[in-house]
Amino acid sequence: MAEVTDLILSVLRQAWLALAGGLAAVAVLALLSQTLRAAAGSALSARFWVWQAISAGAAVLILALFGLLGAPALAQAANQALPGSSGCGPVAELGALAAALIAALVALRLLRTTFAAVLWASSGGSAPLSGALVEAAEAVFGMLLASAATPLAAHFLGAC
Amino acid sequence: MFDPIMEQIQSLAQDAWLFLIGLLIIVAMLGALYYVLQGTAGAAFGGGRMTSTAILGAVGIVILVLFAFLVLPRLGELIQSLAPGPPF
Repeated sequence: MAEVTDLILSVLRQAWLALAGGLAAVAVLALLSQTLRAAAGSALSARFWVWQAISAGAAVLILALFGLLGAPALAQAANQALPGSSGCGPVAELGALAAALIAALVALRLLRTTFAAVLWASSGGSAPLSGALVEAAEAVFGMLLASAATPLAAHFLGAC
Repeated sequence: MFDPIMEQIQSLAQDAWLFLIGLLIIVAMLGALYYVLQGTAGAAFGGGRMTSTAILGAVGIVILVLFAFLVLPRLGELIQSLAPGPPF
């Protein structure tokens, strides 16, 4: 069970690194494209366009900082705040495995949603940052179910 | 597993960066030329406001280009250095 957990977690860790690198690359490119937009607006004397580009660049920078600094801290806090499994035997192991996997998926989903928010903000759309927080809350609820409800169900069924 | 994907993303991002830099240079040069023309026309016809607007516009373009060439690479290095390790 532990080997399977390590294997899956290593794949998810590589996915995290790829996603974080992609987020940084997209954020830098978005900043450059907004600078180009501001220069084009300045050349065309389009004042509103320049202000729009400046605000979009600031939004991209803030979202990227949230994704790179806030998302790992949120995921780590959610992971540490949950109580340990109170079951016994293989059920407790299964609960711990599920909680670890769901914690990894929480972090990945949070980073993926921030990545989508940066993409939206760089293209001038509305940034669905609230979606990231909703997804994090959903996943934390899933961690609670996995780490607490499974051993409780095992006690109820008389497995321990 | 994700290394080939990461290499593809990096290659695409580098191409996009070079393309955007080239486009920025072209746009900035055209904009600066337009403002030079506007300023010259203003000076020739005695339009002081037109000339001052052209000078301000050209200065704005220079500031934007300097921001793109000097500040953005440093900002990019900062963002890349902030890329966190997996928290699990």
